[in-house]
Amino acid sequence: MDYFDLNTNLSKEDRDLRAAAREFAEQLMRPVSIELDRMTADQVIAENSPLWDFMEHAYKLGFHTILLPEFYGGQGMTPLQTHLIFEEFGWASFGLSVFLIVACFPFYCACMTADDELVDAFVKPFCECRDGSIRGCWAITEPDHGSDVIAVGEECFTSPQMVGSVQARLDGNEWVINGQKSSWVSCGTVATHALLHCQVDSSKGFAGNGICIVPLDLNGVSRGAPLEKIGQRDLNQGEIFFDEVRIPKGWMIVQPDFYVPMLDIILASANLCMASWATGLARAAMEEAITYSRDRVQGGKRLIEHYSMKQRIFQLFGRVETSRAVSRSAMELNFNMSPPFVEYSLWAKVQCTEAAFQNTHDAIQIWGANGLTKEYIIEKLFRDARSTLIEDGNNETLARHGGHVLGETYPRK
Amino acid sequence: MAIFDKETAEKLFGELWTKMIKETEFGKKLKESGITILFEVNDPDVVMYVDENGPLFGKEAKEKTPVVTMKMSGDTVHKYWLKKLNIPKALAMRQIKAKGPVNKVLQILPLLKPGQELYPQYCKQYNLPTDI
Repeated sequence: MDYFDLNTNLSKEDRDLRAAAREFAEQLMRPVSIELDRMTADQVIAENSPLWDFMEHAYKLGFHTILLPEFYGGQGMTPLQTHLIFEEFGWASFGLSVFLIVACFPFYCACMTADDELVDAFVKPFCECRDGSIRGCWAITEPDHGSDVIAVGEECFTSPQMVGSVQARLDGNEWVINGQKSSWVSCGTVATHALLHCQVDSSKGFAGNGICIVPLDLNGVSRGAPLEKIGQRDLNQGEIFFDEVRIPKGWMIVQPDFYVPMLDIILASANLCMASWATGLARAAMEEAITYSRDRVQGGKRLIEHYSMKQRIFQLFGRVETSRAVSRSAMELNFNMSPPFVEYSLWAKVQCTEAAFQNTHDAIQIWGANGLTKEYIIEKLFRDARSTLIEDGNNETLARHGGHVLGETYPRK
Repeated sequence: MAIFDKETAEKLFGELWTKMIKETEFGKKLKESGITILFEVNDPDVVMYVDENGPLFGKEAKEKTPVVTMKMSGDTVHKYWLKKLNIPKALAMRQIKAKGPVNKVLQILPLLKPGQELYPQYCKQYNLPTDI
C-alpha cells in the first residue's frame, strides 16, 4: 500500500528508488518471509530453501551494498534514500532485512580503514558478489554477555572480572582466537565472514576488546545449530566457535585504545537500521488494521465506522508517522556525520521498535480472533516485533547507555 | 608545537592539491565522484575548499557549499599524508570530524592516496619532520 510522505520534496530518483524497493518487498521479500516463517530453523537454511533465491535476487539488485561507498562498488545512497528503502524492507520482513543488511557489516567496517589489503581481500569481492555467496555477520553477543557488551560507563564494563567468551592473543604477526559467540548472532551459522568482537586485554574488562574481520572458512571455526525462536524465524541465528583460529595482525581493525568510541559508531549505524525497519513493520501492522476494519462488519456496520475504532486506527497512524519522523531524522543526522551522536540512534531504535510492537499488538486486537491464527500475517508481525525489543541491545540497556552518553555530552555542539 | 605555520600550510596544501588534481588520477576521480570538500584545519587555522578545479583558501573557500566538510588539526593532516594515521581510530577519537554522507566520507580516503605518494617530497621541500 502506498503512503503519503510528509516530505513533499522527494526527488524523482528518491521516488523511483522507493518504488523499486517496494516492488521487491511486495513481490519477493514478504512472500519468501512468510514461507520461511513456517519452516524449521534447519529448513530455512537448507540448500533448497527459498532464502537463497531471495538473497541472489537482492544481491543482483545491489541491495547488499546500500551502505557502501560507490568507490568500492557500493550504491552510494543518500541517508534519505537509505531510509526510504529500509522502511520498505521492514514492511516486508524485519528478519530478512537484518539478514540482508548485516551481510555487509564486516565489509562496511573494513571500508573505514581504507587499507588496500583489507579492501582487496574483503570489500571488493563483497561488492562484486551477485549471487549472495559472500555474507557477513556481526558477532558481538556472547553466551554469558548480552547487555554486558554495551554496558559502557558501568563499573563492570572495565572490570578485569568481566571475562569475554571470545579471547584473542597476539602470536608474532597473527592473532589467535578462541571461544564462542552466542546463539543470537544473526546469519551466524551461514555467514562467510564475521565482524568479530573479542577480548584482547582482559585486564580492562570489555574496554579491552578489539574488533577483527574473520573469514569463517578458516581452520578452527565451527558453528552451532540454527536457533528456533518466537519471531523473525526467517532470520538465521546461531553460535560460532573459534578454536585456535589464526588471522593476520592487520585484520584486527579496532584495538582496545579506541574500542569504546568505535563501539558507539557501529551501534549508531545498527540501531538506525533497526529503527527504519521498525517503521516499516509498524506501517505493515497499521495497513492490515485499516484494511480489515474497512471490510469486517460487526454490530451491523464496518469496524471503521465504530467510534472507538476510528480512534484506535488513528493511534496506529500516529505511531507510524512519529516513527518515520524519528528514524528518518536520526538517520539523516548520523549518516551525515562522522563520528555520529549515538544517543539519537539509540533513541530512534527504542522509540520505533516500541511503536512497532504496540502497533502489531493493537492490530491483533482489531483483528480479534482472526489475528491469532496462522492464516493471516498479523500474528507473524507481532512475533517479529516482539524480538525487536531485545535485538541489537534490549531497549532498557540502550536507554541506559543513552542516558550515560547524555550525562557526558549534553548538549551536543 | 604544531608541524605547520599557517603560511607554510596554505602554500604546501595549495601545491600538493593542485598537483594531485592536475597530474594524477585523483582529479578525474574527484570529478567523477561529484565530491567537493571543505577542510577546516585548526592549529594552524586554515580553511580550504577543493573541487575538480583545484583548491581555494580563506574567504573564497568559506563561500562554497561542499558535499563533505572535514575538521582536523594540522598535525593530523600531516600524519595522514605520511600514512601514519590510523583512520578508524582518528574518526572514533574525534581527531577527524566529518559532515556529509558517511559513504562519501569513506570514499574520500582511498581517493586521496596519490597525495600520500607525493607528500614525502613536499616534506623535504618544506623541511617538515617525517619521523613523528
